[in-house]
Amino acid sequence: MNLQNRYPFYFVLPALTLYIVFFIIPNLSGIGLSFTDWNSYRSEINFTGLANFEKIFSQNEAYLNYFSNTLVFTISTSVLKLVLGLALALMLNQGVKRFVHLYRTMVYLPAVLPTLVVALIFRSILNPATGLLNTFLRSIGADALAKPWLVDPSIALWSVIGVDTWKGVGYIMVILLAGLQTIPREYYEAAEVDGANAWSRLRHITLPLLTPAVVVVTVLNILYGLRVFDIIYALTNGGPGYATEVLATGIFRAFSQGLYGLGTAITSIQFVILIVAGYLVIRLMQREPVRA
Amino acid sequence: MKTRILIAVLVMLMAALGIIATHAQENVTLTYMASQGWVFDAEMELGQRFEEETGIHIDYQIIPSDQYFTVLKTRLNSGEAPDIFGGQSGVSDLVIQYDVEKNAVDLSNEPWASHFDPLVAAQATVNGKLYGLTLWATTATTWVVNYNTAIFDEHGLSVPTTYDEFRAICQTLLDAGIQPIYEPFADGWHHVLWFPELGPRYEQVTPGLADALNANEATFAGNETMLTVLQQYQELYDMGCMGQNALSDTYSNATSVLANGDAAMILANLTFPQQVEADYPEVSADTFGQFVIPLADNQILNINPAGPTKFIYSGSPHIEEAKQYFNFLTQPENLQYLIDNTPSMQTLPFEGLDLQPKLLPKQEAFLNEHPDRGTVYQTAVTYVNPQWMDIGKDLTAMVTGAMQPEDVLQSIDKRRADFANAAQDPAWSN
Repeated sequence: MNLQNRYPFYFVLPALTLYIVFFIIPNLSGIGLSFTDWNSYRSEINFTGLANFEKIFSQNEAYLNYFSNTLVFTISTSVLKLVLGLALALMLNQGVKRFVHLYRTMVYLPAVLPTLVVALIFRSILNPATGLLNTFLRSIGADALAKPWLVDPSIALWSVIGVDTWKGVGYIMVILLAGLQTIPREYYEAAEVDGANAWSRLRHITLPLLTPAVVVVTVLNILYGLRVFDIIYALTNGGPGYATEVLATGIFRAFSQGLYGLGTAITSIQFVILIVAGYLVIRLMQREPVRA
Repeated sequence: MKTRILIAVLVMLMAALGIIATHAQENVTLTYMASQGWVFDAEMELGQRFEEETGIHIDYQIIPSDQYFTVLKTRLNSGEAPDIFGGQSGVSDLVIQYDVEKNAVDLSNEPWASHFDPLVAAQATVNGKLYGLTLWATTATTWVVNYNTAIFDEHGLSVPTTYDEFRAICQTLLDAGIQPIYEPFADGWHHVLWFPELGPRYEQVTPGLADALNANEATFAGNETMLTVLQQYQELYDMGCMGQNALSDTYSNATSVLANGDAAMILANLTFPQQVEADYPEVSADTFGQFVIPLADNQILNINPAGPTKFIYSGSPHIEEAKQYFNFLTQPENLQYLIDNTPSMQTLPFEGLDLQPKLLPKQEAFLNEHPDRGTVYQTAVTYVNPQWMDIGKDLTAMVTGAMQPEDVLQSIDKRRADFANAAQDPAWSN
């Protein structure tokens, strides 16, 4: 390798070293510790094989519920944010003519708010007795719609999904908007000349050329959904009961109980799911580049 | 002349060192981390006086109760614990939760240790060494049902002695449009009390049960009295006795709700009436009476000799300063100040210091009427207190229909087994 070829390696080496030391090695160590009985009650650590994983996948354990809740949360928020984000991006790219920048800022604003602040505000808004939402609904005579949003096990998870979608849709909109603005206007003009209506232009021009941005957004949403913790912990702490417990809160609970080996095992499973999910989404959604 | 100059220089040097030492001490800040509700205003006022006297500043770090134990265990395990940390006493917790023999300082020889109530001290002692200072009204603070006497009198109600009588009272109040019980689930800890506080009743029905549970010779699942308690708890919830918004109610609103008469009863400390009067001076403490938790027809007073306790972190660079703070707090005049200025603190667990308790005649009479007492199960039984919040989740799942009472008991047993196996408890390893 001549000197010129070695230069990139030298420049990457410091960052690569830090990455290996602070990410790769701890992750590999963590995966190793998931096969042990590491806990806060004793200082020694013993190899226990697959005991932690057997416990997680046992029908008697609540962890399977964590997986299903995580799946529901991930799929729901991904679809909602993508659909709503695309709709908003289309409106702000082509539909709305005046105050466009103001509307973009307003839609994006929740994304920059700290998650804890959003959760505390919505805990107040969604309070079944004194919350703003139910108070408004009762004032307009819609008492039947005034639900115990965060304390009814049958709807608590959907309430959390709603809050998370509200917070994250602006961020998705910005990415899709950037993707929309890379599509040459000539394609639309040519399509209009050929008599294509709005739906045809969306279906045959916008969506195919927006695929790279959609892939990015979908991967981001899925990875976020599979790792979600803060919004759930702050809104419901996994409750009522275990109705909104997800993988990350399960990991937190295991560590809180001092069962570090078990918590690390759940983390390892989550890691594998994230890798596989991200890879599959990218493979399934990538196509040949659309040519003019 | 030279000698005088030398002496003068030495004196100035010593003075300078003294100033530096004092300045160094003046710059000492003791970090004290505790859960919400464990550090009262009176202690913080004493902390200010301590700082004026010694120059040592106390930095009180109060953590929300639902996160406290997680934060504490994380900081203990990472070696970044505060100089002083709070924790529930109770021998099993001291070993399992805090590993005090590694993380806390031996306080056996401190001046106040000889005046410490032996029962309370026993809950802060491991292998003969005292590790904690419990400034909590443990022996006189008990969780009882506080009721509004005016509401009871208005509806011709009297203190129940059986569950059926209690249920009838609740129904009468419901029919009158009054919320019978204010039971806040949202904090995650309060609604658990109804179950382990009935330890004395479980022990009365099955003598030696606590020892059998600790020896892994008995389980929670299958115990008929415990199952009855949970079923009655479920029934009260289903009737609406705990209010329509119990799952989102918080304990911080308790004095407000009871002062306003929005609910007739609450499970609270014996000194809850004094707290109401302190928050709402127009509502006299005499407005409230007390009776023991009547589930499973219980009539035994529940006592918890354990309580929020202060420990000095063994890795603290300011151990001597922390001991100084403890010695300051335990001076008789300061203990009396805490009693006089903390509504929920009617006495403190110290002997031979001539402390004046602050019980109402009604409360003294209540204690005298209940000579039969027992220790609550979160202290008497191992591996119960560490899973308090998890039991809370199970009870919430139970009242919302996601779990059955039998499932709750099985869940408690399973978690006890997990903790016991992790600790390699011999009773579970055999």
